[in-house]
Amino acid sequence: MSRTGALIAKEWLDLRRNIGALVPVGIVTLLSVIVPFAIAIGIPFFTGEALSDDPTLERISAVADPGGVMVGSARIQLFLLQQFLVLFLLTPITGAMSLAAHAIIGEKQTRTLEPLLATPVTTGELLVAKVLGVLIPTLAISLAGVVLYLVGIVALADPGVPAAMLSARSAVLVLLVGPAAALVALQTALLISSRVNDPRTAQQFGVLFIVPLMIVLIAQFGGSLWLSASMLAAIGLGLIAAWVLLTFLSIAMFERETILTRWR
Amino acid sequence: MIAASHLTKRFGSRSAVADVTLDIGRSEIVALVGPNGAGKTTTLRMLAGLIAPTSGTVAVDNIAMTRATGSMLRARIGFLTEAAGLWDRLTVRENLTTYARLYALANADRAIDRLLDLFDLRDRARTKAAELSKGMRQKVALARALLHEPHVLLLDEPTSGLDPEIARSVRGLIADRRAAGCAILVSTHNLDEAERIADRVAVLHQRLIAVDAPAALRRRLATGRVLVRVEGDPALYLATARGFDSGAVVDGAMLVVRASERTPALVSALVQAGARIFEIRQEMPALEDAYLHLVGTERSARL
Repeated sequence: MSRTGALIAKEWLDLRRNIGALVPVGIVTLLSVIVPFAIAIGIPFFTGEALSDDPTLERISAVADPGGVMVGSARIQLFLLQQFLVLFLLTPITGAMSLAAHAIIGEKQTRTLEPLLATPVTTGELLVAKVLGVLIPTLAISLAGVVLYLVGIVALADPGVPAAMLSARSAVLVLLVGPAAALVALQTALLISSRVNDPRTAQQFGVLFIVPLMIVLIAQFGGSLWLSASMLAAIGLGLIAAWVLLTFLSIAMFERETILTRWR
Repeated sequence: MIAASHLTKRFGSRSAVADVTLDIGRSEIVALVGPNGAGKTTTLRMLAGLIAPTSGTVAVDNIAMTRATGSMLRARIGFLTEAAGLWDRLTVRENLTTYARLYALANADRAIDRLLDLFDLRDRARTKAAELSKGMRQKVALARALLHEPHVLLLDEPTSGLDPEIARSVRGLIADRRAAGCAILVSTHNLDEAERIADRVAVLHQRLIAVDAPAALRRRLATGRVLVRVEGDPALYLATARGFDSGAVVDGAMLVVRASERTPALVSALVQAGARIFEIRQEMPALEDAYLHLVGTERSARL
């Protein structure tokens, strides 16, 4: 097993013994599944008012079906359920942010960092292990949420919506942009975690990543922004490139000496 | 095995360690002693490749410690940090297994089992680190430092806070590692321990004040006085003693005579005067006295 693998295994073992740390990820994921159905299907069902009764929704939902194949409530459902898919970008970020923020400071505070740094492990190996150790379990929970979301769509949405949801756009959003955004957010939190001596500072900075995602979400709902599959792919690749740069930056800015001698 | 050459470390304008040159060879234990803030931990960290010196070099097996060689050389060093630093939610075995993987040990389970037996920790292998006593944690940390069979050991206060029984077993293990050929540097405040286990004692107060065998350090303060215990009242033989040293005195049951080179003649004279001698020994200062003298002199010199 590589040194990175050894550290990831340790992180997972630690998480397994501290399963409560993953509860926020589970809650955010569950909310990401429930809220869209409550809005797109639950509210019309209980109020007796069809989504297509709202002319604004009727108008802006056209972006979700450029071919004009779907009409009425089905198209609006598709529009809303596509939009809410963005929530799954937030789940690994919001849920895992505190874990990433504690990653280096936590080791320092429990005085486990010094013996760890005395081994042959390199800074790059340590930082990559810390990010992947947090990212993989939270992504797994998030992806489980996506599967549940799709099952819900098959079971509850109007005919035609499930097939339309299984698009390249959804795939790119869930499989590329989601993990890439999480990588960037967690790497940033880790970078900050290795530069400050209070985990709360790292957490506060890391949460700022939610702001641009919320702007995208709101802009999409307002109908002023619709990101196509190719635009999302470009964003995803850009985020991956940003993560690579951030990783190198994290390694360059990781000061063993400062961490060991000046943090209290 | 490990050599520090003109090692200096400054933190801003504060000098933590200045111009330390120290060479520790195979099968040798050097005790690093000094007051709080003397730079002991900083020296150990530089030797372990954790922090870079401001100037000077560290070499392990004649290979200079650099950014490029650091990872490779750290694999040859076992470093016991001041705090045990165990992952509390992991068991003893899991803690050791993680480190065995970091050192890429080929037969990790066997190495771990051997150390668990050596430290009498076998029945605690599945205990979470958080549930261990301080002594047990220290043992696990020491086992971790020995896991990859390093030939250089750097131990920061290995018996600090341990009960006498465990402290003794730890000292025994350190001696065993010396017998196995390790070069060992032990930082300690316990001068009795330093004297018992170390081949040489290095007195550090930012700079190295002295490096020598414990007995040689004590001899530096030797007074040349001889203590003689005789049967009965020692005052009866004071006149004989004063024939050798006009300043001879009685201190309790002892005659205290500055005789030094003339000790055999003193013994003969006392016997001829009818004394039955039970004990005779040279007055030697404790290592603590030598240490306090050295550190005190250094402090005075800086004022």
